[in-house]
Order: sequence, then C-alpha cells, then structure tokens
Amino acid sequence: MNFGDFLMQNLHQFWQLTGFYNSTWENFVMLAVGLFFIWLAIKKDFEPMLLVPIGFGILIGNVPFNTMAGLEIGIYEEGSVLNILYNGVSAGWYPPLIFLGIGAMTDFSALIANPKLMLIGAAAQFGIFGAYMVALLLGFSPDQAGAIAIIGGADGPTAIFISSKLAPNLMGAIAVSAYSYMALVPVIQPPLMKLFTTKKERQIKMKPARAVSQNEKIIFPIVGMLLTCFVVPSGLPLLGMLFFGNLLRESGVTTRLAKTASNALTDIVTILLGMTVGASTQASQFLTAQTIGIFALGFMAFVIASSSGVLFVKLFNLVLPESKKINPLIGNAGVSAVPMSARISNNLGLQYDPSNYLLMHAMGPNVAGVIGSAVAAGVLLGFLA
Amino acid sequence: MKLRLIIALMVLTFAAGAGQAQSRGALRINEVMVVNDDNVVDDYGRHTAWIELFNSGFAPLEISKIYITNDKANPTMYPVPLGDVNTRIPKRQHVIFWADGNPTLGTFHTNFTLEPGKDNYIAIFDADGHTLIDEVTVPADLVPNTSYARSIDGSGEWQVRAATGDNDYITPSSNNVIKEGNSKVQFFSERDENGLGLTVMAMCIVFSALLLLSICFYIINRIGAAVLRRNKMKSQSQQPSEAATAEKPSHDSGEEIAAIVMALHEHLNVHDRESTVLTLNKVRKAYSPWSSKIYNMRELPNRAKH
Repeated sequence: MNFGDFLMQNLHQFWQLTGFYNSTWENFVMLAVGLFFIWLAIKKDFEPMLLVPIGFGILIGNVPFNTMAGLEIGIYEEGSVLNILYNGVSAGWYPPLIFLGIGAMTDFSALIANPKLMLIGAAAQFGIFGAYMVALLLGFSPDQAGAIAIIGGADGPTAIFISSKLAPNLMGAIAVSAYSYMALVPVIQPPLMKLFTTKKERQIKMKPARAVSQNEKIIFPIVGMLLTCFVVPSGLPLLGMLFFGNLLRESGVTTRLAKTASNALTDIVTILLGMTVGASTQASQFLTAQTIGIFALGFMAFVIASSSGVLFVKLFNLVLPESKKINPLIGNAGVSAVPMSARISNNLGLQYDPSNYLLMHAMGPNVAGVIGSAVAAGVLLGFLA
Repeated sequence: MKLRLIIALMVLTFAAGAGQAQSRGALRINEVMVVNDDNVVDDYGRHTAWIELFNSGFAPLEISKIYITNDKANPTMYPVPLGDVNTRIPKRQHVIFWADGNPTLGTFHTNFTLEPGKDNYIAIFDADGHTLIDEVTVPADLVPNTSYARSIDGSGEWQVRAATGDNDYITPSSNNVIKEGNSKVQFFSERDENGLGLTVMAMCIVFSALLLLSICFYIINRIGAAVLRRNKMKSQSQQPSEAATAEKPSHDSGEEIAAIVMALHEHLNVHDRESTVLTLNKVRKAYSPWSSKIYNMRELPNRAKH
C-alpha cells in the first residue's frame, strides 16, 4: 500500500465516522427542534432555566454518528459519559433531588394560613386522570397511559420520575412534552381562565392571609410528610424530599443546607437533568407517531387540569359564605407549575381590578399542586408499577 | 447528664431497630426436592436432593453465617460459610443448597441429607442460632422427582409439583410462578378498560390525602390561635396598659408588619426572623487579613546593594 492509498483509506474511514456521513433527515428535524427550544428560551424568555439545557441536550443527542463503531459516546451506550449522567434520569434519582430544592425554595405560608386551598391542588389532578382515560382510548397500555397522563400535573421532575418507572421508552417524549407545556403555561391558561369565569367572579377580593408563625411552618413539613406518605407510601421519594427540603428552610438552624439545596444542588441537578433529557430524544427514538400522540395528550391533560382547578373553585364558592369566597382565577394555579401559574392568576386579576393582588392567594393552590401531583404520582406507581 | 444518657439510649434503640429491619427475615425456603433421579444436577454433575432458598425482599441479602438444619433439636446444623460471593442473593432471586451430606464440596453443599419416605423437617435460623427465619416439613409421601414448593415465590400455600402440565412445573433456582409481564397492568387492562375505576380511586385518594392535611392544619391553626390568645391574655394581665387593652384587628396587613419591622430596626435594631414579612439584614463587609490578597503573595526579595 503506497502512502497515497494509506491516506485515502484512512480518510475514507474517518469520513464514515463523521456526522455528515451518518446524518438522516430525522436528525435535522430534531436539531431544528433543539434550536427552536433555545430560541424560545433566549428570545421569548420561556422557562430559560429548563429550555436552554433541554434544547442544547437535543442538539447533543442528535449529532449523528456511527453507532456500530463502538465509540461509547451515545446516551444509550452503556458506559458512555452521557449514559452515566443519564442514570439519574433512568434510575429516577434526579427528580427527588429537584424536589429537595423545590422544598427548600417554597414558602408554604399561604397554604398553612388557608388550608382549604389544598383542595384546589387536589382538583387540578383531574387533568392527570382525564388524560389517562383518553390515553387508554387511544390504545396505550395502562402503564404507558399513566406515564403520559402525569404531564397534566405540570411537574417535569414528577413526569420524569413516573415515566422512568412506568414507560422508560416514552420518557424522552414525555419529559420534553411536560417541560414544553410548562413553558407555555402563560399561553395556555389565560384563555381557559377567561372562558370559565365571569367578570364579577374575576373581581372577587380575598381577605389577606393571616401571618403564620414559625412553629406552624416547622410543623407543616413534618406533619405533611407523615400524613401524605402514610396514605401513599409510593410517593415517598418525591414527597419525602419535598418536605425535607422545606424543613431545612423553615427550621431556622440549617440555613446553609437550605441554601445549598435551593441554589447549588438544584442548579447542578437542573443542568444535568435538562441536558440528559434533551439528549435522550434521539431522532430514532423520538420521531414516532407515538410522540405526536403524547404531545396531544399532554396538551389535553394541561387543559383539563387548568380548567378543573377553576371549575372546582366555582363549585366550592357555592358552599362558602360571601365573605370567604375564593377568586376562581387562582384555580388554574392548582397545577404545579410554580410560580408561573400563580403569577398568571395575579396578572389576570390585576387586569380586572388593579388593586386585586392574587399572587399570595394563588401560591396556596400552586404549592398544593406540587404536593397533589406527587401524591397522584404515588397513586399511579402504587397501582401500575 | 442523665438527659444525654437517655437520648443516647434512644438513638441506640432506634439504631438497633433499623438493624433489625435489615435482618434476614426476607429469606424463605421456596422449593424442596427429596429424591432427585433425573432433575437438575449439581456442579459435580450429580443428582442429589436440593433445597431452594428465596430472597423475598427487594434488597440484596447476605446469607453467610445463617444456619440450615433438618433437626429441630439442632438449629445450628449447617452454618453457611463466610467468604463466598455467591452467598449474597440479589433481590427476588434464588439459591440452591444440595442436601448431599458433603460440605467439603463447597458452600452450597450441606452436611446433612434428606431422607426419602419420612417427613423431612427443614429450617433456617439466623446467625444467632436461635431466631427462626423459616421452616417447612416436607411430607413423607413425596414421590421421587417431584418437588414440594410454594405456590407463589416466598409466600402462598405449599404444594406438590410433578412437572406434568402447564401450571405444574418444577423450578430449581427460578421463579415458582412464571411471570408474563406486569400483573397489575394486565389486571387493569382486563378489568378497567376505560380507566374510570382507577380515576375514581386515584382522585378519592388524592382528595383524601390533601383533605386530611387540610383538616390537620385547620386544627393546628385553631390550637395556635388559642395558644396565642392565652399568651396575650397572660401578658396583658401581667402588664396592664392602655395600648394592650386596645382592640386588635383579626389579621395584620403587610403594611402594618412592615412598619413594625422598620420601627424595630430603627429604634431597637432587633432583627426579625420571619422570612415572609420583611427581613432587614445589615450586610457587613468587615476587613479581615485572613482573606486579604496581599498576604497570599510573596514579595520579591530585595536585591542587596553593595
């Protein structure tokens, strides 16, 4: 073999390893999706903390390469770096860590001051189970239907946790769908809130919540964890970590731990979770008819969840005295997109009465939604795992 | 000092409890064959009686130092030796012990045999030699090449298996019930086709959990308010003043709390710990030589002038 042949042969082999040689149209579609997510995050400011890692993860996961070359670089190739990072998603240990951070960030005062708002968080879980029934009608098996339906909880970590247990093959599509709709909460929810409420209802002014003592804030995570986990032990990884994080915050003696859980730890896990979830959407796994079904069901679950929260408040108002009526605009916050959906309640409330600040009232159902979706996830795991 | 001792004892008690939770209680005798003429062979290619143990738990189980016996009077008949990696049984998995009376052949060969035509008592005891983990008496009428097995792995009724049909098979070192997919999912597929049943159950559970929490905090609210009232009355009775007797609003607005905090800060410099109200925290940037950059740098030695 002369030197020229040697060069040509090796360059040809190298060419066969490149992305250009191995690319398919599906790869380019997914790369476009990734770029779209990054654009949404940077230009439109839609959940940038999530969409930037997911969008870039989609780019990483869809760079084409020769899967038969044994390079150990793909996210599904055992032992690769991405595969090791993906273990937190596939084995389901990133979501409880995120819940620890959420607990350490969340102030449950609004809920403690007005415990009846917890029921709005429960009502919004109709979205999950409504979507479950429709998914069964579309031909998904009960475990797949449960994994898809959890999108209605509007809780990305919970969606990932449940899908990793019930339908690992659908996890990429479910996670991307859940985070996409969470980012689109400001677009999806306001029309529904206007549709189901009258102008008079939107102007209901709620009494300011009472001040909550520190003792109550400390008791809440302890009692909350024990009660909810005794009812649904299968929700322990999520609920346990959520309430543990909150105790770190409220105890007043673990400020450093609470700060780490709510800042550094959450940031690290969010980066790894977002990036690996994005990278798991390889074109061959993602571009299927099932994915379209999952996105449609996810949208429907979101619509049902938001609507049922609003409608439940209207129903609840029928039995409440005039002085204790709840503004139905906070019903949408029963989904656990914290604090985005509470902010939407507040903004919409201000449109109809500039002196009507609903933010703190909406935070009650909003954080109840986090607990509710974790309980619903535990129920699904208990019945179907 | 006494209090510390009590706390230490309580911690030790809990630790002991946790240790107990990790014990070998999940180990089960799962299947036994007394006369083995044409069934599974051991690692020497011989047909001998076998005892299958099953880890019914969902965590790996180390079984070295437990005892296997065929004599009620001698619970420490065969101690499972230390130092064999195969004595760690993964979750929901099985191991086979060969009851051939020849322990020199390896860890899984017991020093006793099972006797055909007689009731064979088999038991496993924990490392302490007297805590019974599981026991079974294999009936005398068990014919050759049939096994005595649990109907469900780790639980269920004992039954004779003769390998004669689809549901009557002998399964050394594997599940007594062959699983074809997730039984729960199959159950819901067959019995709850439209998902209404699961929806009703799940929503009832979600509502119950949050209602329970809501009621619980309603009660805690009431107790908290009562305690607050009592404390207020107590302090009023101790220091009666005109301001204390003034009527208080049922709730405080944010503005009032902010004003109080500002006043406290201005006049008393008292820091409020309530994070939801208004927290004024003086940021101190005190100089410390320990973090000073200048002390981390070595000065260049001065050139001596001659």
